[in-house]
Amino acid sequence: MLRIASLDVAYGGLRALDGVSIEVAHGQFVAVVGPNGAGKTTLFRAISGTVTPAGGTIHYDGHDLLAVPAARRPHLGIAHVPEGRQVFPSMTVLENLELGAYTEAGRARWRESLDLVLQLFPVLGARRGQLAGTLSGGEQQMLAIGRGLASAPKLLMLDEPSMGLAPAVADTIFDRIQQIHHEHGVAVLLVEQRVAEALESCDRGYVLETGRIVMQGNHDALIADDRVKKAYLGL
Amino acid sequence: MGAVELFAIDFFQALITGLLVGGTYALMCVGLGMIFGVMRVVNFAQGDFFMLGMYAAYYVATALGVMAVLGPYVGPVVAGLLAGPIVFAVGWLLHRFLVGRVTGVAAVGAEGDGHYAQIILTLGIALVLQNGGLILFGSLPLSVPTPMSRESWELGEFLINQARAVSFAVAIVVALLLYLFLKRTTLGKSMRAAADNAEAALYMGIDVDRCHRTAFALGCGVTAIAGGLIASSQSFQPYIGFDFVITMYAGVVLGGLGSILGAFWGGMTIGLVQQMSTLVLPFQLQNTAIFVVFLLIVFFRPHGMFGRSAERT
Repeated sequence: MLRIASLDVAYGGLRALDGVSIEVAHGQFVAVVGPNGAGKTTLFRAISGTVTPAGGTIHYDGHDLLAVPAARRPHLGIAHVPEGRQVFPSMTVLENLELGAYTEAGRARWRESLDLVLQLFPVLGARRGQLAGTLSGGEQQMLAIGRGLASAPKLLMLDEPSMGLAPAVADTIFDRIQQIHHEHGVAVLLVEQRVAEALESCDRGYVLETGRIVMQGNHDALIADDRVKKAYLGL
Repeated sequence: MGAVELFAIDFFQALITGLLVGGTYALMCVGLGMIFGVMRVVNFAQGDFFMLGMYAAYYVATALGVMAVLGPYVGPVVAGLLAGPIVFAVGWLLHRFLVGRVTGVAAVGAEGDGHYAQIILTLGIALVLQNGGLILFGSLPLSVPTPMSRESWELGEFLINQARAVSFAVAIVVALLLYLFLKRTTLGKSMRAAADNAEAALYMGIDVDRCHRTAFALGCGVTAIAGGLIASSQSFQPYIGFDFVITMYAGVVLGGLGSILGAFWGGMTIGLVQQMSTLVLPFQLQNTAIFVVFLLIVFFRPHGMFGRSAERT
């Protein structure tokens, strides 16, 4: 479904991504883990078109994604839930969700997606008329994910959904992400610093360090890997 | 009649005139507030789009014969409204070929996010419009010739200038339509989203550059309608934009930069302060009074009356 091959991204002279190759199959849950500054957010920006790669290819569902303008990419079924949530602060919760459904597919399935989002995150229903900027961090993250789901995506990209959240709230968010993946068949591409949680739920994982993929494998292989255990899982 | 009663009459007369003037000022500020709110571009040329609106209304009313057909009462109002689409088109083209090159998604990552280029560009557009206006329209002061500017309705002790009252009503209706457009329509909502967070709007599949172009053209058009309406009660020449751009910025900052609703109330406040100040200050000090109030509000409420209080993310 998504195939990234030897992607290079540079900011000025600084190389943020160096020959990164990642694949996500239909309905698969793929996690990309790694420390701060490894290039995880840059990877997402390249997929969404807010940075232009210096080399490599990105193919999605038969499209050469790099030839598609950034504003058209969500209409192909890619939902990007950005780092730091980035909800629309001066708009209400419901308006934020409506904007999530800006894509053709999202508009067509607005009723069902709204039901789904409110069932996953009941607190958003209670706050539907409230300005998004006045929500707590956890609620904003739920809204950001809900907004992504409202586009009725085939691929949901989540950039550090646990960032800045209390552990209990982060756990709820991870549970919901798994639920979205299992019950609704949406492919998930998750980028996380919380390696244990991310690897636990994924089908396949990649470890990204200073712009390079240093390790990859399916869930069982990565969890069992000694280097992963030592460096990230604290075992 | 006692001195107190006389003062009361003067007071309410100034209040009424202030509200009427404030309505058109509010519309003019909304245009500027919209461009800043959505695009984060400081448009120095906004006063000159106002000037273009005045000339557009004048030539539509006279040379195009709208006043000859619709008469000296309805004609000027229709001409004032038509200034909107004319200057909208000018704004659209300017954004398409010039402004869009240094703003929006293209400008992200440019030095200072393109702000230097934007400032020089809008300043340049302002100069070209002013001097181009001088060549095209001449330096002779004009005004839309309508008897409304001299006639008043009497309401008890108070006089209500017809041109100002009609301009007020039309300005309020236009502002209300714009408000509904932003609140209810998909394009309006996507423009607000682009204003809140352009990057996130892009991730929703919103064409942010198109939103910017619409906001720029609409902002120019709306300010031009205000100019077209004011053209019935005030004489103008190609440099008049400069007087108004200062008032406009005062109104927008007063209301809270980035808030379109704030720009409306800021403009209204400017009109009120300008007229009420004539009660205690000489006529020449009207603009001084505006800036005293402006400084007071900025001092006590740095974010303006409607500053983006929700901006905490």
